[in-house]
Amino acid sequence: MLYIVETYGAMLLRSLGQTILLTLLSLLFAMIIGLIFALMNVGRSRIFNFIGTLYVDAVRGVPLIVLAYFIYFGIPAGIKSMGIQDFRLTALSAGTIALAMNCGAYMAEIIRAGIESVDKGQMEASRSLGLSYGKSMRLVVLPQAIRTMIPSIINQFIITLKDTSILSVIAFPELTNTGKTIAGNTFKVLETWTIVGLMYMIVIIALSKIAKRIERRVNRGR
Amino acid sequence: MEDRKIMVHVKDLKKNFGKLEVLKGMSIDIAEGEVVVLLGPSGSGKSTFLRCLNQLEAATAGTIIIDGNDVTDKHIDINAVRENIGMVFQHFNLFPHKTVLQNIMLAPVELKKMTKEEAKDKGMQLLKRVGMEQKADAYPSQLSGGQKQRVAIARALAMNPDIMLFDEPTSALDPEMVGEVLSVMQELAAEGMTMVVVTHEIGFAREVADRIVFMDGGYIVEQGTPDEVISHPKEERTIDFLNKVL
Repeated sequence: MLYIVETYGAMLLRSLGQTILLTLLSLLFAMIIGLIFALMNVGRSRIFNFIGTLYVDAVRGVPLIVLAYFIYFGIPAGIKSMGIQDFRLTALSAGTIALAMNCGAYMAEIIRAGIESVDKGQMEASRSLGLSYGKSMRLVVLPQAIRTMIPSIINQFIITLKDTSILSVIAFPELTNTGKTIAGNTFKVLETWTIVGLMYMIVIIALSKIAKRIERRVNRGR
Repeated sequence: MEDRKIMVHVKDLKKNFGKLEVLKGMSIDIAEGEVVVLLGPSGSGKSTFLRCLNQLEAATAGTIIIDGNDVTDKHIDINAVRENIGMVFQHFNLFPHKTVLQNIMLAPVELKKMTKEEAKDKGMQLLKRVGMEQKADAYPSQLSGGQKQRVAIARALAMNPDIMLFDEPTSALDPEMVGEVLSVMQELAAEGMTMVVVTHEIGFAREVADRIVFMDGGYIVEQGTPDEVISHPKEERTIDFLNKVL
């Protein structure tokens, strides 16, 4: 165990950094995707409702690993067959797209449920004062929806962090992929995966502690 | 009354919810400064009528003209019309994440009718008027039902509306709090506000209303002064209803 920490410690930490980078980028885009499709779903336009539902159903219906293969291998192959030769997707961008799309679909459902949990009278009162739908959503409904959404969002953050390990299949140098390399080089399989597992655990526990603190702060004055 | 300006003109208003026809053709004119109380059994369409006036419910057919603006016209800026129509709800619908004063300031500031300072002054003035100035910095969850409704009235007044709609404003209140809300409404009526009120408070209706409109089954059954409708009703259904509630 000590041998692995001494020899591969820096490499493991670097790959943990990659994992966290991938997670943060994906979450950022997932929040945007989620908000857009959630708003499509709660609005009155049938076309937008349809697009929103289609996106959520399509992405949730495909395993993340298949989505990652599709984006990393499938899309460049498709573009090449159209005659464009020098199209490339880095593992980081393909991974971010796959994770953001996947997490975005779940986020859309969380945000939709949050918006729908706010009493309809809130929107009505705001509209009756002359505020537009958009302003009412932004100033009255969403701030209240966020409070009920926070536990689910934190949960989704944690799932996404763990899902980055799936991207080891597209050769992205995140923590799990590095673990594979080390286990293969040293044959110290038990020790390697113990260390890798502990690293995930520490980050996730720290994340949930921070999240709990945020949750408490947001709920003050309720 | 004939020489007064018509604030609300409704002609052949119909409203369906799916196959259910809630309003079956209502016509009414309401003059500036008039206080109209809508009475009727539940399900008679009173609240729906009220909600059609500011288009919280879109009318299925008919014309609604508020202070010269046809609100059923798809091209009209409905938000601008709504600034002129205050509404008070049965369940208050105060914004729980904002303080009492912030609730009142929100619309004037966001719609750029007032600066923050002006809205604050106006807000405090309105709170004084409804006897709630000492609760300006409290959150809605810290108030009693009667206090909430008084704040809701102040909020609806913040945009200086010409018309106020009241949708059963005292129905969700404990009995001992009904009086404080009704007296605020009574003052408002005395100041000349045009008011359309859905309520079950017959006493309030008798004392404050200029006109009582009795509705049943999506129609206006009978209307007139409180003396005519409440004390000397002509229609069978009105008599029936009044016997049950009085």
